[in-house]
Amino acid sequence: MERISVKKVHQLARQLMFSLSEQEAKDIVSEFDTLLSQLDLLDRIDTSDCEELVYPFETPTTFFREDVVDHVMDVKDVFLNAPKAENQYFVIPKVVKDNDE
Amino acid sequence: MTNKKEVWLQKAHKTIDELHKLQPKLNAVVSFVDVEKQVDEALDKMGPLAGMPVILKDNVLYKGIRATASSYMLDNYVATYDATVVSKFKEAGAIIVAKSSLDELGMGGSNITSFTGPVHNPYDLSRIAGGSSGGSAALVASGAVDLAIGTDTGDSIRKPAAFCGIVGFKPTYGRISRYGVIPYASSLDHVGYFTREVKLAAEALMLLSGRDDKDMTSISTPLENVVEALDESLANKRIGIFKNVLDAIDDEDTRTLFFDLMDKAKEQGATLVDISMNTNLIKTVLPTYYIIANCEATANHSNLDGVRFGTHEDGESLEEIMTNTRTKGFGPLIRKRFVIGSYGLMDENQELLLKKAQRVRRKLVEATEKMFESVDVIVAPASSHVAPKLNDPSIDQLSDKYLVAENYMVLGNFTGYPSITIPMGMKNHLPLGINLLSKGYDEKTLLQIAYQLEKLTGLKGLKAKVEL
Repeated sequence: MERISVKKVHQLARQLMFSLSEQEAKDIVSEFDTLLSQLDLLDRIDTSDCEELVYPFETPTTFFREDVVDHVMDVKDVFLNAPKAENQYFVIPKVVKDNDE
Repeated sequence: MTNKKEVWLQKAHKTIDELHKLQPKLNAVVSFVDVEKQVDEALDKMGPLAGMPVILKDNVLYKGIRATASSYMLDNYVATYDATVVSKFKEAGAIIVAKSSLDELGMGGSNITSFTGPVHNPYDLSRIAGGSSGGSAALVASGAVDLAIGTDTGDSIRKPAAFCGIVGFKPTYGRISRYGVIPYASSLDHVGYFTREVKLAAEALMLLSGRDDKDMTSISTPLENVVEALDESLANKRIGIFKNVLDAIDDEDTRTLFFDLMDKAKEQGATLVDISMNTNLIKTVLPTYYIIANCEATANHSNLDGVRFGTHEDGESLEEIMTNTRTKGFGPLIRKRFVIGSYGLMDENQELLLKKAQRVRRKLVEATEKMFESVDVIVAPASSHVAPKLNDPSIDQLSDKYLVAENYMVLGNFTGYPSITIPMGMKNHLPLGINLLSKGYDEKTLLQIAYQLEKLTGLKGLKAKVEL
């Protein structure tokens, strides 16, 4: 793996919808060096003969069920924690602006 | 009935008083919970935990009560439904008295990253309690409650149990429902708990386990009666000593306590077997975990955006609201982990990082299964050392001590196998723990052997005395 740059770290942060200070970005870059050394350990393992394991057990745990309503949440509860809500909608700044805006 | 109500209320209030006294020292509680209504409901149920005060880690939802996961992002979040484990506590008649601190969003092993500040070890306030379930661990160790819920994604129950000198148990993956638990990494997250004796851990499993359709990873495999089986002796039990871990431990006191306990087990009829895994493979446990856990966490927490719930920062646009909220809401460690997770999820890196890690995970699981061909449980010290100081500089992150001895318990999360830590002795008045891992679904053997080892240590019910 290649070293990550400060610019790339900022780019990833933007995609994740948060900002980093210059110092934080530099710290992440320097910690990446340790991580990359640790990741080199993975390359020593031959995995050409196996599939990914995502969950611990591969026995199915989800099943078809009757198509009946259960586990209903009250609308009041849905909006209980909303910072801004009105008429059963979450309120955010207007996305489509008027012509004169 | 009225008399019983008074007794239970008194007991609950006494516990809460105790928690208030401990709080300036341990800083382990995030929220206290009203008990009056709970006591009335518990009287109606008269369940097996009737009137017993218990604590929830603050990533477990209890309707009407704040659930912060120790992140400023959820500082004002009030749960709108009960986690299954809470429903089961209510059925059993338990009284939830408080919610405990954790590393922010469960991501950490020190419990110093909570937005409410670090949790202190009840044996030495200048030391960590361990994480991420450090609040629950510290409060059980102090004797304030007998039972507290934790969650375990890497070793987040079993490591703090060792540092705090108590029992920390996580059952088989999916045995206890994760419904209503704020996730960290879904393929690794387990719900478990802390006690001060193995018997209560076994009893609690009978109450808290069971298939739950609301958790898609909940298992249907029946649980045997793990309480009735506890008395079976160590005769004919095969205990695998995890040689890779012991070889990576340089602390002679830890090694001596461990091998002394193993000698006693042998005297009781257990057969000790040295077992090991390929050296290169065991060193991959931590980086494999780091990639998988951070990738899953990055995806899981994308819903924390300041729009539908949680703390909120204003902005001129939706993007600005989300960016401002997430910048202020997450601590620096979380932001770092998300960057790493996001890096692993990039199209060009998925094959090299995430998928590679998932394939190595399979290799690690297969190697663990192979070790169980000759033994009933695998044991090793839960940590090479006692609880570190709060300001302890981290050890060499490429050393065997760090990669193997301090992180091997993640195997319990990769495999989903049940695992327990119990105290094995004291060093300079600080506890050290031993960890046991059994085959998947076999909590019976795990708890049986842990119960017998607990008798040999003489540390059942060990409690810290916190100077108030």
